[in-house]
Amino acid sequence: MNLTDYILIGIVLVLLAVSTLKSRPKTKKALKIGAKQFWNVLPFFVAVFGLIGLLEVLLTPKMVQAWLGSGSGVLAPFYAAVFGGMATGPPAAVFPLGQYLLTQHASVAAVSTLLIAWVAVGTVTLPAEIRFFGARFALSRWALAFVLSIVLGLTMGMLM
Amino acid sequence: MNKLAKWSKQNWLVWVVAAAYIVMALTRPAEAARAASLGVQTFVALIATLLTVFVFVGLFQVWINDEFIMKHLGEQSGIKGLALGAGLGTVLHGPLIGVFPLLQALLAKGAKLGVVVAIVSTWAIKLPMIPLEIRLFGWKFALLRNGLLFVSAFVMAPMMEWALGNGWVDRFRGAPEEGT
Repeated sequence: MNLTDYILIGIVLVLLAVSTLKSRPKTKKALKIGAKQFWNVLPFFVAVFGLIGLLEVLLTPKMVQAWLGSGSGVLAPFYAAVFGGMATGPPAAVFPLGQYLLTQHASVAAVSTLLIAWVAVGTVTLPAEIRFFGARFALSRWALAFVLSIVLGLTMGMLM
Repeated sequence: MNKLAKWSKQNWLVWVVAAAYIVMALTRPAEAARAASLGVQTFVALIATLLTVFVFVGLFQVWINDEFIMKHLGEQSGIKGLALGAGLGTVLHGPLIGVFPLLQALLAKGAKLGVVVAIVSTWAIKLPMIPLEIRLFGWKFALLRNGLLFVSAFVMAPMMEWALGNGWVDRFRGAPEEGT
């Protein structure tokens, strides 16, 4: 739980209060819809968090560093997109990692790609995305985001 | 039996992850236990956020009428709708998986595909993280990176609309209560 969580909960509580004042039956219906949807996707959430645990154990920061450090050359942004896309950690975690990689002579392009792919690609949430929006949407967006993270990373490398 | 098959089709990941854990537990029990505990920790850290998201989804579906969404985020909303979506994405919080139900509700209410894509794209911009990024990488890097990400939403949206075609959104319209 961080500050943004509390702000979010606060906002929802205020909305719930306003909604209850305006119409009790409608609020009840809203909670029912929310609960039903939550119940429907709960098994899926549990599976995703199980997967996150597995990846955090199997994919060590050391491995990431070995691929993105100096010596990977032009392939570094590509590896960065693959690693970043598979990452599951909180967004805050990638910034210190990226800075550390820079001190290890990783390229600006690779680190920028990593920062972008970390949040924008979402390979782990891909099954969820397929479930909500279908394979065509999810795979198209995933592929586009993957390519885009490399393009933006290379652009950053040129501009910095 | 039929019900289980349908459930499994939607939730196949449950079986895959369960199988992976069984293999891990048999071969490397210590690491399996660590993975499970990390998974539980992540889940616990996010459960409050997920719950609030679904309360919000319910309220959203009851109170926001379709005309409002259609007017501001619908097929005729043009670049203004995209900009509104892109702005909305930067303030959305929590994991992407928590944002999906909300986007689905938006589609059901008549939002344009491109607007939803713009929201997902700029969701990658974490406004609260920008001070951290500036401190670690400097102003130029942080502003350039987030600026490029914001602009990319306007590239992603038309590309996705082109890739999926016109009829794609139809199946989402109406029937917002199913959550499939």
